[in-house]
Amino acid sequence: MVDKHDEVKEIEVDYTRLRIPFGPVHPALKEPVLLRVTVKKEEILDVDVFLGHVHRGIEALAENRNLVQTLYLVERICGICSHSHTTCYVQALEEIGGIQPPERALYLRTLIFELERIHSHLFLLGVMAYEVGFDTLFMFTWYVRERVLDLFEKITGNRVHHSMNTLGGVRWDLDQRMVDDVRATMKDLQKSVHRIYDFFQDKTVEKRLCDVGILNKDDAKRLCVVGPTARGSGVSIDVRRDHPYAAYTYLKDYFSVAVREKGDVYARTEVRLLELFESINLIQKVLEELPNGSIRVEDNVIRLMRRIPEGEAISLVEAPRGELLYFVKTNGKEGLWRLKVRTPTIPNVLGLKPMLLGCEIADIPVVVASIDPCMACANRVAVIDVATDNEKIVDMDFLRRRRKA
Amino acid sequence: MNTLTALLLAFLLVFVISLLFDGIDRKLHARMQRRIGPPIIQPLYDFIKLFSKERIVPVAASSRIFTVSPTFAAAASIMGTSILLANLMLGGSTGGDLIVVLYLLAMSSVLVMVGGSSSGNPYGAVGFSRKMSMLIAYEVPLLLSILSVSLKVNSLSYYDVISVQITAKSMLALTFPSMAVAATAFLICIPAAADAVPFDVSEAKTEIVYGPLVEYGGPFLALFKLAKSASNLALTLLAATLFFYLPAVFGVYALPGLSDLLICLVFALMFWFLTITVPRTIFARLRVGQAFKFYWLVVLPLSGIAVVLSVLGL
Amino acid sequence: MGIRLVASSRVKSPWLFHLNTGSCAGCDIEIVAALTPRYDVERLGCVLVGSPRHADVLLVTGPVTRQMLPRFIRVYEQVPEPKVVVAVGTCASSGTPFMGSQMIEGPVDKIVPVDVYVIGCPPRPEAIVKGIVTAVKRKFG
Repeated sequence: MVDKHDEVKEIEVDYTRLRIPFGPVHPALKEPVLLRVTVKKEEILDVDVFLGHVHRGIEALAENRNLVQTLYLVERICGICSHSHTTCYVQALEEIGGIQPPERALYLRTLIFELERIHSHLFLLGVMAYEVGFDTLFMFTWYVRERVLDLFEKITGNRVHHSMNTLGGVRWDLDQRMVDDVRATMKDLQKSVHRIYDFFQDKTVEKRLCDVGILNKDDAKRLCVVGPTARGSGVSIDVRRDHPYAAYTYLKDYFSVAVREKGDVYARTEVRLLELFESINLIQKVLEELPNGSIRVEDNVIRLMRRIPEGEAISLVEAPRGELLYFVKTNGKEGLWRLKVRTPTIPNVLGLKPMLLGCEIADIPVVVASIDPCMACANRVAVIDVATDNEKIVDMDFLRRRRKA
Repeated sequence: MNTLTALLLAFLLVFVISLLFDGIDRKLHARMQRRIGPPIIQPLYDFIKLFSKERIVPVAASSRIFTVSPTFAAAASIMGTSILLANLMLGGSTGGDLIVVLYLLAMSSVLVMVGGSSSGNPYGAVGFSRKMSMLIAYEVPLLLSILSVSLKVNSLSYYDVISVQITAKSMLALTFPSMAVAATAFLICIPAAADAVPFDVSEAKTEIVYGPLVEYGGPFLALFKLAKSASNLALTLLAATLFFYLPAVFGVYALPGLSDLLICLVFALMFWFLTITVPRTIFARLRVGQAFKFYWLVVLPLSGIAVVLSVLGL
Repeated sequence: MGIRLVASSRVKSPWLFHLNTGSCAGCDIEIVAALTPRYDVERLGCVLVGSPRHADVLLVTGPVTRQMLPRFIRVYEQVPEPKVVVAVGTCASSGTPFMGSQMIEGPVDKIVPVDVYVIGCPPRPEAIVKGIVTAVKRKFG
């Protein structure tokens, strides 16, 4: 942190190096993050990542709300992976309270989880195409994604923020017509995802994605990156296989974990494309094996909430971006002592620095998109102040407007 | 119709036709993406709306260059295109040959660059250096293909090339192999000159926030966009008339006048579609180094072969 | 007639700039979804531009966090007049569900004047398009 009242220092200025602020407002980024990039002509020499623009103080707010209100708060940490957050939170509470949701509920949770993985990966593939300037693929991918959002709307009532989970089970059930809809959509999705795979092997796209943003296996292990970012660098970790939860305990043999060795942007994209196929298979399997029964332990969630004693638990799920960890400490009086959320983007963002060194400016949006950043998730740390110090070569104040003429 | 009226009429026509062609391009681009797309006269609405916004000049910009470059860029582009149109309308030379037209088009690109670097924004500086690389990459093959045409026709005048095709009653590119090669090189240079994906590195929206245009808003932006549309029209019209002058083949209509002009414009629209709209839809954007390599290793030899063949008389 | 022409051009060609002041990205993905073939906001002449200096309509999402406050004000100043501000989502309109947090500088209308509020968590793309069209017609028409 630099004190604003420092005297002006004599600094040797190197005019061949240009420091460019990338973000927090930039057309390539849908969410604010500040990357201060030092470049020489087009080559990147150094990267500094500044988070904290989306910090809303959710963990502090959670301490003033009861357990069920926190469920709705936690859902809005992130719009893209909201179901992962609620599943993780509810699993931790169920562990503290010793509540076992019925099997049908577990299968339904898994169904929505995999649908969310499909929608999130299609989202990211479209964004990646948009970053390399391939508008048509972006339009096509998001057109395909709309069908998944239609399914969400039929099952849960909303396209985003589904609120499917509740203490002790899920809130909405599937009838036969919805099951047929899901099956038909999955069949069409299979063909569309094949086409998207072919598009990503187009010559101009390959030139932009291959051999760019390489993260080798040792760096990946040292920085503890998770999710497709790690799997694209040869590190085979997946919470669904290593620490199964929800219905994955029963479905362990029906999916495989996609791993690629190269570690460049194309490898990470390919991992996500393969995961799309796996998710489609998993959903079809879930629909086949959906057991009958009730969908929640008890209809009155307030009574359940009162039964939860003081205790703490850690819960892990595999969100679309990687491993999501929740630490929940309840106080036995329907409230929380502490809620700590560690989202997958926090370690993944640290991987940006080795990836970006040696790349060009043109590669920044592509590499940043390839780790699938969810800044809204990642802003759980204390505010980092971006002070305007005097040693900048190009200052943000230069971009201020003044009325003239 | 004397020269002056032809030029004035052409000035107005350029304004209308380039905006119309731009609208058709956007509509076709949207349709290819399975969308409906804007109405065809959308660029006209954009133009009027941009002129009605307030004019802002950033504090860090060198304000005189900043405010003057859009006007000059638009003027240069429109003048270059109207020379071509006036030639076609009059059916005779209006003075102003190929060299003048190419100079005006290049000047318009350079002014975009200069305006961008004068804006005081680091993205403008990056856009400046990228546009310079692209200019070096595509201008040389472009000039060489035009050079091979003038060597064949033994004249630098625009109308002489057309009259050669009229007297021979055939299109240049279909009769001589050197002209076919030159036409290919010229057509491949158009996406770079028109800042269309895959070669729009200087104005990449997601990387450097429009490059040179980042700090321009309101009337300045309207003028820059008009400059770009007019120069696209000039390039496609050159491709359509220098190499493929269709009215020469239809003996009955080989009379100077507005019907010939219409056929040339339709052909220019077709080339616009093939070289600007289609690549914009089906390709991703290349990096500046990759684009540069493509032009110097593939297109430059092609245009060089065209010159050699033309000198040899083929 | 000149004035009517200018007014109708402003209504038929609103250029959008999307600013995220700390939202959960739910509203942002619905805004981007409005560009896709199913809703296709470009047929109304809307284009999502990357620089605030090119924009007419400022689409703001998120309750304004403390870190984004100075940037928000700077972007607002960079958009040339005449401009329209649309607050998209419940967070931008009223700040809930993050009310009471010390990191929030308040909903958008505490900082800049807002023309249209589009509520929903997140609002559907059709609602966002209707919000943009209402705002543009009311201010420019």
